[in-house]
Amino acid sequence: MRARPVFRGTELGHLVWVALLVGLGFVAVVGSEREQLTAAALAVPVAFVGIALALHFFLAFRGFRGDELLLPLALGLAAIGLVLVQRLAPAHLLPQQLTWAIIGGGAFVAAILVPRDLSVLSRYKYTWALAGIALLALPVLPGIGREINGARIWVGFGELLSFQPAEAVKVILVIFFAAYLEEHRELLARPPRRIGPVPIPPPPYLIPILLMWALAMGVMILQKDLGATLIFFGIFLAMLYLATGRAAYSVAGILMLIAGGWAASRVFEHVNARIVTWLAPFSDELRFGAGYQLVQGLFALGNAGLLGAGLGNGMPERIPVVWSDFVFTAFTEEVGFVGALALLALYLVLVFRGMAIAMRAPTPFLQLVAGGLSFALAFQTLVIVAGNAKLIPLTGVTLPFLSYGGSSLVTNFVIVALLLRISDVTMRVRGG
Amino acid sequence: MEVPYQVALWGVRLAFLLVLYLFLIRAFASLWRSLRVETELAARNALAYLIVQRTHATGPHVGERLPLRAVSAVGRDAANDVVINDEAASARHALIELTEGSWWIQDEGSTNGTVLNGSRLARRERLHDGDVVEIGRIGMRFEAFRA
Amino acid sequence: MIRPIGANIRALTLVIAIAFLATSVGVSYWTLVASADLSSDAFNPRLLATLLDRPRGRFIAADGTELASSVRLADGSLRRRYADRSLAQVIAYASSKYGAAGLEAAYAESLIGRDVADPIGQWRARYLREHPDPGSVQLAIVPSVQRAAAAALAGRRGAVIVVDPRSGAILASVSEPNYDANILVDPAQQDLAWQQVNGNTERPLLDRATQGLYPPGSTFKLVTAAAAIESGWDPRAKVRVDDPYQADPSWGSYHVRSPSQAHGDFDMSLAFQRSENIYFAKAGLFAGAQRLTEYASRFGIGAAPRCELAASRGQIATGTIDRPTLVADTSFGQGELLVSPLQMALVAATIARGGSLPTPHYASAVLDARGDPLRLVEPGAAGQAIRPDTAATIAAALVAAVEAPGAFASGARIPGVHVAGKTGTAEAPSGAPHGWFVGFAPAENATAAVAVIIENAARGGEDAAPVGGAVLRAAIGR
Repeated sequence: MRARPVFRGTELGHLVWVALLVGLGFVAVVGSEREQLTAAALAVPVAFVGIALALHFFLAFRGFRGDELLLPLALGLAAIGLVLVQRLAPAHLLPQQLTWAIIGGGAFVAAILVPRDLSVLSRYKYTWALAGIALLALPVLPGIGREINGARIWVGFGELLSFQPAEAVKVILVIFFAAYLEEHRELLARPPRRIGPVPIPPPPYLIPILLMWALAMGVMILQKDLGATLIFFGIFLAMLYLATGRAAYSVAGILMLIAGGWAASRVFEHVNARIVTWLAPFSDELRFGAGYQLVQGLFALGNAGLLGAGLGNGMPERIPVVWSDFVFTAFTEEVGFVGALALLALYLVLVFRGMAIAMRAPTPFLQLVAGGLSFALAFQTLVIVAGNAKLIPLTGVTLPFLSYGGSSLVTNFVIVALLLRISDVTMRVRGG
Repeated sequence: MEVPYQVALWGVRLAFLLVLYLFLIRAFASLWRSLRVETELAARNALAYLIVQRTHATGPHVGERLPLRAVSAVGRDAANDVVINDEAASARHALIELTEGSWWIQDEGSTNGTVLNGSRLARRERLHDGDVVEIGRIGMRFEAFRA
Repeated sequence: MIRPIGANIRALTLVIAIAFLATSVGVSYWTLVASADLSSDAFNPRLLATLLDRPRGRFIAADGTELASSVRLADGSLRRRYADRSLAQVIAYASSKYGAAGLEAAYAESLIGRDVADPIGQWRARYLREHPDPGSVQLAIVPSVQRAAAAALAGRRGAVIVVDPRSGAILASVSEPNYDANILVDPAQQDLAWQQVNGNTERPLLDRATQGLYPPGSTFKLVTAAAAIESGWDPRAKVRVDDPYQADPSWGSYHVRSPSQAHGDFDMSLAFQRSENIYFAKAGLFAGAQRLTEYASRFGIGAAPRCELAASRGQIATGTIDRPTLVADTSFGQGELLVSPLQMALVAATIARGGSLPTPHYASAVLDARGDPLRLVEPGAAGQAIRPDTAATIAAALVAAVEAPGAFASGARIPGVHVAGKTGTAEAPSGAPHGWFVGFAPAENATAAVAVIIENAARGGEDAAPVGGAVLRAAIGR
């Protein structure tokens, strides 16, 4: 990819606005907390703008021809995330999140450079699958596995570095599915057998699908990570649809998930608890117990109104661990419905862009990878926002770019890098 | 907190919201523009073309250049990459693709078949520059400027 | 014949866009539609946020006595302090953990300087973080009457509520058993206290005065009398009473029993004195089911009284009164009737006030930090329930019911004052019957109306009457 440097003017233009966003946000939040606007306080937004420019110039000097909207969108969301960490989280978490942002930038650069040719990814699909399962199993191992808040999904090395492998597994899963489905999509789309209206793929191809379902249920049971289960399964069904175009698979899959979930709720208390809390969080038994977080979140939403209580003026501190699962409600309380709508629209534009890149991609494999990654972003966003708004049961997934969390931030930057690469390849194949 | 300070703070908050919306609108505008450009781009920078030679009253005009991508689905259905507006064409009629440097055409199980250079297409055949493809009542000449 | 992936991508994008739209609608529900309900929820910490940082407004009695206030402890923290345990269900509590209840919840905004009478102050508090010194909420509660009520009830399970018929102001309200709200707001003890108070089967958190529902027993005869008189019944006519009474054989085994196995002629005054069930059954049947129901609702039974606290609606019957036996049963206060002491106090107040139903309220004014009134709480009358002459007739009969020799309500007598009143003995689901007393004084120009209920009283209404008398005495002497 050694090409002449190129001027990415649109991208630079958008980044100016990102800088404004992060600057104003920090001023508003720090000003509200009655702290002095010291150099230290402004160091974080300045550092962030530095990272943004570094990534931009990296792409420009590499002669990168990919999309110019994705990176600013991602950085804009990450900027809001930093502002929210400053607002919501204990002071020592802000430098940590900035560090993760730098690591994310590094991962971004790495994903742009390596591997040289994307089709390499499609050749080693079973390796990918095994790696994914291994990563997923890591937290269960004694020693490095950590159980936090009842879920065994973390891996830690010492106190400082802990990450959730489930986040990286998401990307691996998309690549694996893309490769597998591309190879077998004809057979899956035109299965010789049917049960009633549901097409049944031939057994050798049926096995991986059922294995997938079993894996999803297994993760939920063993690790008590309902969010990851939902995301994995959603990605699986979506990519199956993208490859085959048969909606029947998705419908059957959703029904299977609901059935599995219902059965799990009968057998496993922690699953049942989530559903009960979702349905009646204000009840006397739950409002101070399991439902407390959701109830406080809804109170925060109620305080939002149209324009919000003002950045720095709300009361999000009442929501436990507000900086990870409930950033959306904290943000909404302070910027109002108007601000929340803009945020959701930003995510939607990001997803649209990713899907557009997917549509234009030159080979089916790349189309599936781009489509799957964009869907993963969209689905995760929907799941957590809908959970915050009591539309679905709450699951412990993070809001991409906004939530505090290193693994999430780094993984999402890698996703953006992969999408950009696919867009770059498309530009080159098309010429011009 | 004195009132002026609070008012100024509110100014910053509203400015934040404003910047958020402007950022969003600009992003949306970029998206829109690129979608428009992209349809033109697809046409202008197509990898190859099917140039319409024989048509009927309601079909494409003679001389119209239908752009082809690396993989193009051809048929009557609007979801195809190349849409053939002819009753005699099947919804999903044929597939033209560029693999390992060569162009290929294959019939996708259409009702009336695909004709290549006068003879009905059996399975998958190579496509060369100048070949004539007939789908339904539409005849087209294949033009590739990358060999 | 497989769909091109591009088409699938388009379809999936559409699905995603719809999902985002649906989610936005969901968010808009909480932020815009349900916003008011959420903001005023008793457990929303935003209204109580100031509890710990800044002094909250006070509750003061009619004479200025402090009933609830924020005190600063030695360690600098603020805590609510409640002076009068007998007001535990009325003022209730404001806890940063357990939310607010009672008047602390009803006047939550006013107590942090955001009263509706001051919209600019409200706006400044929310957006400019300006916190004016909160004022106080002045209640109509009169400490001497409150003390008398608590002393007279003497810890027996039940309630006493006193209303000023002229304005609807609530002068005293006691509900036993009660609890010490101070422990509930003490962070060191609140968790245990909360568990105990909630788990107590006697339900000390329940305000029996406004939310306790009981059959009214003979006190309902006030309503029956009004319905009958305004249907054409002559209160001075002598009506034959023979125990037991059955209007016609279709009543089967149901008979109306006279409490004194009477055989004789009764006019309304005598019927009130002797609490003669058969007389009132006949009167009720004369008025008819429809009229009886209508007059019960005119007196406010079946609708929640519009005071600051949540009050029960009560009921005239579970469905409608559809059979003569139910008419008869309802006429002397049993049947399917359920009323709260507040509702009965309002019945008494209506009769005292010449037939006009007052609107009850606990607060009389909201004051600012300097003590000047921000706004007065003066809801008007709820409507004219009965004619003034009807009210006068019943009032006269009620005076006799207290003053006649051997009257059941004689315990309510006050030397030198004409007291109007009626006792009632209502069947309880188990144990001894409940004892009621409703009344007002002075009869000619009442300044206080009272309703007393003692659950499972040994001697029914006769136990309640002295309580009523003591309370009325304190009230008119204030």
